[in-house]
Amino acid sequence: MKTPAPADLHRWSEELARNPASLAFLPLARAYRRLGRRDLALQLSLRGLEHHPTHVEAHALLALLYFEAGDRSRAADEWATVLRLKPGNFEALRGMGFRYLEQNDVGRARQHLERAALIRPDDTTVQEALRLIRHRETAGARARPDTAMLGTARPRPAAVEPAAPAPPPPAPPRSAYAPPPAASPSAGAVPKPAPAAAPAPAPAPASAPVAAPRREAPRYELPPDPARLFDSLMAAGPLLGILLLDRRGLVLAGGMRTAGAEVEELGAIIGAAIDEAIRTVTHLSLGDWKSLVLESEAAILQVAPVTEEALIIVAARTGTPMGWILRASAQAAITAERYVGAGV
Amino acid sequence: MTDEYRESIVGLSRVPGVSGALVVDPDAGVTVVEELRPEVAGPATAALAAALFQRTAQAARAAGLQRLDSLQLEAQGGQVLIMDAGGLIVVALIEDDGQMGRVRLEAHRAARALRALAEREG
Repeated sequence: MKTPAPADLHRWSEELARNPASLAFLPLARAYRRLGRRDLALQLSLRGLEHHPTHVEAHALLALLYFEAGDRSRAADEWATVLRLKPGNFEALRGMGFRYLEQNDVGRARQHLERAALIRPDDTTVQEALRLIRHRETAGARARPDTAMLGTARPRPAAVEPAAPAPPPPAPPRSAYAPPPAASPSAGAVPKPAPAAAPAPAPAPASAPVAAPRREAPRYELPPDPARLFDSLMAAGPLLGILLLDRRGLVLAGGMRTAGAEVEELGAIIGAAIDEAIRTVTHLSLGDWKSLVLESEAAILQVAPVTEEALIIVAARTGTPMGWILRASAQAAITAERYVGAGV
Repeated sequence: MTDEYRESIVGLSRVPGVSGALVVDPDAGVTVVEELRPEVAGPATAALAAALFQRTAQAARAAGLQRLDSLQLEAQGGQVLIMDAGGLIVVALIEDDGQMGRVRLEAHRAARALRALAEREG
């Protein structure tokens, strides 16, 4: 994990002093967390959320800070908020999955963890937790209550959770999403989500704890023809097409019935609009861009990043309700994430 | 005349979560009228919105999508809505908890009013 530069800290602090509603609170809080100043990070996050109460990443960071401080109840509250704002947030799905697991609410735990596994099939902590759930279910009544596989067979107050290990120590900080030490069924402990805030997984440093042998992730069946990746979504409504593009504007998958546009040309040209959009949000201090919706005479296009390497374009007929397009786009993004995650 | 332009965006500027509403000349990138919260930089917003709309409109035409009617840019910290209003554009800055349905409705009204003004002025 990169150490924040003093110049950046100074710049964000100044910006925040000038404008308390500035979004600079978020990088500053993350930087303080990385420096081990979780108290300051917490204060900044709470103040920032006063100005931006629906900021997903700020809630996610707050959840992490609470989790690291051992306050799992508040962490769960924040993850629940994240999921209300962004139902497909991996960290929140994983965090809530583990929380339900601790409370022995296996149904909800599985529901959240399976959704998390769809987004990141290779996350070892999620796979380990799902394996525990399956083990528990097959063991049935024999596993309850004294030999409970999940550590906390009955809901207990957080203060008296002998089976649950202490929260991860504040230092040294681990690499972003480096897998935490794996829990084994015999240890009777619930695996913990990795304490990190960066949005993308990073390889664990050599000194990171050794993870359990990688479990077989649910296998994602690649479509035989990439052009048909979104066919099931296309059948559902007034969509003209869905395209998955790489960062150079080249089409990775999907297709377009007709939007008056050539597929390859559309991919290349939309890049110009994205460049301008990024410039605009940067100058207006709005943070990272999340989506761009274009309504033209011929079609409505919704463009959104899927990963740092890929973006998705959903095209619909003019007059299609915007809410419908956004929902279709969210579903397409999940399919695209799985496709990209499959190493295509 | 300025009053009529300003009147066109008053409704938009009063929607909860809207921190700024502007009528902008997209060719020059300058503000015609604006209703902004004090912390919003009008000239920069006008210039950026104009450049974004112009470039995206060019891209849309080049891709065979014909005329660009509106553009909605969502970011972590808020949204920017830009709507074609004849020779002008309507720009709204919206906080991330803004009521987008109402914002879009009022922006459409503003764009219609501005087109009517332009037709009347010939």
